[in-house]
Amino acid sequence: MTSRGWLLFISRRLVVLAVLLVLISFAVFTLLYVSPGSAINALLGTNPRTPGEVRFLTREYHLNRPFLDQFWLWASQAVRLHFGNSIQTSLPVTSEITARLPTTIFLGLYAFVLIMVFGVGGGIVAALNRRRLADRGIVAAAIVALSTPAFVGGVGLIWVFAILVHLFPVYGPGAGFVDDLWHLTLPAIALALTGMAYLVRHTRAAMITVLDQDYVTFARARGLSRARVLLTYQLRNALIPVVTMSGLILSYVITGAVLVEDTFSLPGIGQLLVQSATTKDLPMLQAVAMLVAVVIVLANLLADVTYIAVDPRIRLGRGSGG
Amino acid sequence: MASAGLPVAGIRLVTVRRRASVPWLMWICFGIALLLVVLALFGTTLAPYNPSAQNLSDVLARPGGAHWLGTDSLGRDVLSRIMAGARSACLGPVVIAGGSMLLGNLLGLLAGYRGGRIDAIIMRWVDLMWSIPGLLVIIVVAGAVGADYWLAVGLLLILTIPFDTRTVRGAVLEQAPRPYVEAARTLGVADWRIMIFHIWPNVLPVAVANAFLNFAGSVGFLAGLSFLGFGAPVSSPDWGVQLSQGLQSLFQNPIGMLAPGAMIVLTATSVNLIGDWVYEQLSSRGAGR
Amino acid sequence: MSTTQVNEPVVTAAVCPVLEVDGLSVERLRRGGADTIVTSVSLSVRAGETIGIVGESGSGKSMTARAITGLLPPGLVARGAVRYGGRNLLTQRESQWQAIRGGEIGLVMQDPFTMLNPVLRCGRILEESLPDRRRLGRAQRRAEIARRLAEVGITDEGVAERYPFQLSGGMRQRVAIAAALARGPRVLIADEPSTALDVATQREILALIKDIQEARGMGLILITHDLRVAFAMCDRIYVLYAGSLVEAAPAAELQAEPLHPYSHGLLLSEPPADHRVRELAVIPGTVPSPGQVAGSCTFAPRCRWAAGTCRESAPPLVEVTLPEVASGRLSACVRLAEIRADMRAVREQAELEAHTAPAGRAESGLISVRDVRKVFRQGGRTVAAVDGVSLEVGAGESVGLVGESGSGKTTLARLLVGLERATSGDITIDGTSASDWAALSPSERRRLRGIIQIVFQDPYSSLNPVRTIGATLAEAITTHNPRARGVPAQVGDLLASVGLPAAYAQRKPFALSGGERQRVAIARALAARPRVLVCDEPVSALDVSVQAQILNLLAALRADRGIGYLFITHDLSIVRQITDYLYVMRRGRLVESGATEQVLNGPRDPYTIQLIESVPSPEAGWLTTPER
Repeated sequence: MTSRGWLLFISRRLVVLAVLLVLISFAVFTLLYVSPGSAINALLGTNPRTPGEVRFLTREYHLNRPFLDQFWLWASQAVRLHFGNSIQTSLPVTSEITARLPTTIFLGLYAFVLIMVFGVGGGIVAALNRRRLADRGIVAAAIVALSTPAFVGGVGLIWVFAILVHLFPVYGPGAGFVDDLWHLTLPAIALALTGMAYLVRHTRAAMITVLDQDYVTFARARGLSRARVLLTYQLRNALIPVVTMSGLILSYVITGAVLVEDTFSLPGIGQLLVQSATTKDLPMLQAVAMLVAVVIVLANLLADVTYIAVDPRIRLGRGSGG
Repeated sequence: MASAGLPVAGIRLVTVRRRASVPWLMWICFGIALLLVVLALFGTTLAPYNPSAQNLSDVLARPGGAHWLGTDSLGRDVLSRIMAGARSACLGPVVIAGGSMLLGNLLGLLAGYRGGRIDAIIMRWVDLMWSIPGLLVIIVVAGAVGADYWLAVGLLLILTIPFDTRTVRGAVLEQAPRPYVEAARTLGVADWRIMIFHIWPNVLPVAVANAFLNFAGSVGFLAGLSFLGFGAPVSSPDWGVQLSQGLQSLFQNPIGMLAPGAMIVLTATSVNLIGDWVYEQLSSRGAGR
Repeated sequence: MSTTQVNEPVVTAAVCPVLEVDGLSVERLRRGGADTIVTSVSLSVRAGETIGIVGESGSGKSMTARAITGLLPPGLVARGAVRYGGRNLLTQRESQWQAIRGGEIGLVMQDPFTMLNPVLRCGRILEESLPDRRRLGRAQRRAEIARRLAEVGITDEGVAERYPFQLSGGMRQRVAIAAALARGPRVLIADEPSTALDVATQREILALIKDIQEARGMGLILITHDLRVAFAMCDRIYVLYAGSLVEAAPAAELQAEPLHPYSHGLLLSEPPADHRVRELAVIPGTVPSPGQVAGSCTFAPRCRWAAGTCRESAPPLVEVTLPEVASGRLSACVRLAEIRADMRAVREQAELEAHTAPAGRAESGLISVRDVRKVFRQGGRTVAAVDGVSLEVGAGESVGLVGESGSGKTTLARLLVGLERATSGDITIDGTSASDWAALSPSERRRLRGIIQIVFQDPYSSLNPVRTIGATLAEAITTHNPRARGVPAQVGDLLASVGLPAAYAQRKPFALSGGERQRVAIARALAARPRVLVCDEPVSALDVSVQAQILNLLAALRADRGIGYLFITHDLSIVRQITDYLYVMRRGRLVESGATEQVLNGPRDPYTIQLIESVPSPEAGWLTTPER
C-alpha cells in the first residue's frame, strides 16, 4: 500500500477504536448505577455513613448533576488518568495500578513468548511428521491442553512442583529479573497452555493445507532445496492464517492472567481486578476495566496491521487478474 | 464400493466408502459422557454421603476406606461432592452450547445467505464482540451487580453467539454460490426452505463441531468463574469452588484439589474428542463437500 | 517450407533416448493391499523429440509425470524403472533427486493460478530457480531474469516486480515456464500446460513451448486430454486409459488410423471443428478406476468389439505387424486384425457430413433480449459484464452463445433465469417482461419458470450432496406444481427420460459419475417442463468420451419434445454440432451472429476468426502463424 493508503487505513481503524472506547467507557461508567442500592452506598462500601461523608462523596462524584454531565466529568478525568481513589485503600487508583502493572506485563509477555515458540513450533513439527508418533503425540497433548483451563493447569503445576518435586517456587513474584523469571515460570506455563493448544492446531492445519498446494510441488520440481521450500514456501504461507489468530490469543492471555494471578497469588492487575470486584471497589473496577479495554483494542489493531503487512494480496488489493 | 470421485486439480481421486468403525478411544469418551449425564441428573442421590454434610471431627482426611477421596476442610466427603458437582458443571454449558448453536446458526444463515445490510449489521456486531474477553466482562459485571451462576451463564451465552455466527456464516458463504442452491432458486424454492433444507444440512458439520467445542470451553470457563468466586455460591459442590477451597488445603489433602481439576479436564477432553469425531463423521458423509 | 506435417523428427537428433520409462507402475498403499493407479507404462523421449501422453481423467497421466520426477503425493509408490543418465531414478535417494529436478528434468504444471508462490514477486521466483545464483552480482541477476523473461515472451520489465496475482493467467504460465526452465533441463514435462487458459492464450503458450524446445533441443513430454493438441504438437503419442497404455504410435499415423478401439472412440468423440456430423459417436459408460478393470483389457467393459479373450487377461502392448501398418506402432488390442475393417467403417460413418438447411428465423422469438446491460460494482470499479446485448431464441430453436471467460455469457444466462437483475434493457420471455423477476407477481414467476430453466456447468456441485436424487427431483416437481400426484412415478419418468435407471432415485450424488450427475441436473430442469433450456457450459467439466453422450441426449430431447436451447460454451466444435444459430460474445458485447454454418465457415469479425483459428489443428502452421 502506498503510505497514503496506510495512513487512511490506520486512521480509519483508530476512529473505529475510539468509538469503541467511548462505548466501553460509557458502559463501565454505568456500572456504578447498575449496582443494587444507591450510588452513595456503593461508594461508601464498609465505611460509616455520616452526613460529612455523604456530602463529601456527593461533591467528589458530582452525584447531584444530571447523568450525562456526570459521565462527561468522569470521562474527562479518566482521559487524564484520574480515576479517583480506591474505596478500600483510599489511595489513588492509578498509583495502585502502576505498582502492579510490571508483574502482569512480565507474565503476559513470558506467556506470549511460550505460546508463540511452542505453539507454532509444535504445529510445524506435527505437520512435518504427519501421522507418525510425533504428530499424534502433539495433537493429543494439544487436545488435553485445550481442555485444561488456566487455573486447573496452575493447580496441577503447583501440586507437581510443590508437593512432588521442589523445583519451582509456587507463590509470589520474586525480585529482580532472573528471580522473576524463576517465579513466573509456572504461572506463565499455566497461562500459555490454552493459547499453545490453539496455535498448535491452527499452525498444523495451515501447514498441512500448504503442504498440499501446487506451488510447493512446483518449487520441489524446480529442484529448490528443502530448506528454502520449508521457509519461503511453507512457513511464509502457513503463518498468514496464524497471524490472524493473534488477536484471539491475546484475549486468552488476558483472560487467563486473571485466573493465574489468583492461583499463584501474584500481585498483578488480574488479582486487582478480582479483588476490586469482590469488594465492589467501583472506582478501581472502572479503571482496570478501561485499561484492559485499551490494551485489547490496541492489540487487535496491531494484529490487523501485521496481517496486512504479511499478505501481499491484501496489501495491494485484487490486482488486474486474468 | 468405489465410486468415481471428485476431480482434484485434474487428478480424479477415487473415494472409497468404508463403514468407519468407532475407535476404542471414542467408546471411552462416550462412556465418560454418559457417566456425566447420569451424575448431572442423579449425582446427589447416588453419592455415598450427603455432599453438604459436615463432619468437623474428620477434617482433611486422606483418601481411605470410609472416604475414597478423603474429606475437605469442613469434613465433607470429597467423592460425594465431586458427584454432586457434575450438575453445575454440565447444566450451564448445555444451555450455552445449545443456545449459541440455535441463535448463532440462525444469525449466520441470515448473514451469509441474505447478505447486504443484514449481513453488514450482523457482522459489525460480531466484530465488536469478537475482541471482548468474556471472563473480564463477567467479572466486572458481577463485581457491580453481584455474583450469580445463571447471570454468568446468560452473559456467556451472549458472548458465545458471535463465534458461532461467524463460523456458520463462513460455511454458508461457501455453500450459497454453489449450483445446487442456485438451481433451487431458479426452480422457485422459497428462500427459507433453501436456507433450512438445502444449506443448513451442508453446514451442519461445522455447526455441530462448534457446539461441542463451546460446551467444552464453557465447562472450564464457568469453573474458572466459580474458582474466583463469581459463579456458583461458595457452599455449592461446584468443581471450581471445590478447587479453590482445595487449594487452601493443598498440603493436607491434595486430592481435594486434584479431583475436581481432573474432572474438569476429563469432561472437557472427552467432549472435545467427541466433537472432533462427530465432525469427521458428518463431513465424510458428503455434507459440506 | 514443406507442406507435410510439422512433426517430422529432427534428423540431427541423437538416436538413443534421453529419458526412458520402463514398466512404471504407481500404486496407492492402504491397509490390506494397494490400489493400482498406473500399470506398466513404458515410453521414451529423445532429444528434440516431443511425445504426448493422452488420456482422460483417471487415466493416471498426471501421476506418471509425478512419478518420473519423484514427486508422488504421500501414500503413493512407484515401481519399475525411469532411466536417465545411465541409472534408474526410482532407486535413488531424495538428495540425488534434487539434482535431477529442475536441472535435468523440468516440470510445468496445469494451473497457473496455483503454481506460483503468492507471497513472492515474480522476479524472486525466477531468481531462486537460477543455478549458481549466489555467484552472480545484483546487476547480473537482474540481467539474467530479464533474459529469461524475454525467452518466454515477456518484455515488460515491470513483471519481475509484480506478484503473481497481479498478472493474467497467460502471463503467470509464462513465468512458470521460465522458472521451470531456469536450470536448463534436457527434458521438460508439461502437464496440461494450457488447459486452464482461455482459447487464444492456449495456442500462444503451446507455440511458446514448442519454440523453446526447438531452440534448446530439449525432449518434451506433453500431457493432455485433447487429442487435437497432441496431433498438433507431438511426434509420437502414447494413449493411456485407466492406468495402462493402450496404444503408441507416431502422431500422423495415429490420426490417420487409430489401432485400438479406445483411441478410435476418443478420436471420434471429439466433434470435428470444420463440419457438422450427423450423429456424434459415443463411447457408452464411464471411465473406470484402474482397480475395477484389473486382470482384463481395461477398455473391455465399454468396447463394442469386446469378446471373451479380452476379459481373460490384461493384453500386453505389442508391436503391430499387420499389413499396411508402419513399423513402430504398438497396440494392446488382441482383436485388432479382426476388427480393423469394422473400425474404419464406423469412422467413415461417423464423419458423414450432416446437411442441414436452417429455416428462416421468425422476427421475434420465445426469448427476446434487447439492449441489455448488467453492471457490477467491484471495490470501487464498475464493470459492465453485459454491455448492450440483443439476441433472440425462437421456440424450439437451438441457439449457441460462444465466448470465453470474462465475456459475460454466464452473466447473461443468469439474467435470463432471474438470478441477476438487468441494469437496463429489456428481456421478454413469451411476452412477459423478465428484466426484473423480483418485480413480477409469484404466479407470473411460476409461469416463467415453466418456460425457461437452466443447466449449470459443474456437475459436482449441481446437486445437494446430502439429498438423494429422488428427493431432489421430487422437490423440483412439487415446487413447480404443489398439487402434483404420483410424484415417485414422475421421478421415475424423469430419470428414464435422461437415460438413467429408476433405482438411481435412492442414491446420493457421490455415488454417481460426472456424466450421470449432469443427466440428473438436466432431469431436474425438465421437471418444470420448460420450453427452452439455458445450458451454461454443460459439458466442459466432463470427459471427452462422456461429453458426446450428453450432447446426444440434448439433441434427442429437442427432437422429442421440441425444447429449444440457448447453448453457452467456449468450444466451437461443440457449438457446430448442436446449434443452428450462433452469437459470438466478447467482453460483454456481441461481435457477430448468424447461422452457425455460415459464421463458422465464413467469419467476419476478427475475434471470431481468432477463436476459430485457436482450435487445435494438426495442420502445418497452426503453431507458427505470424499473429503471435
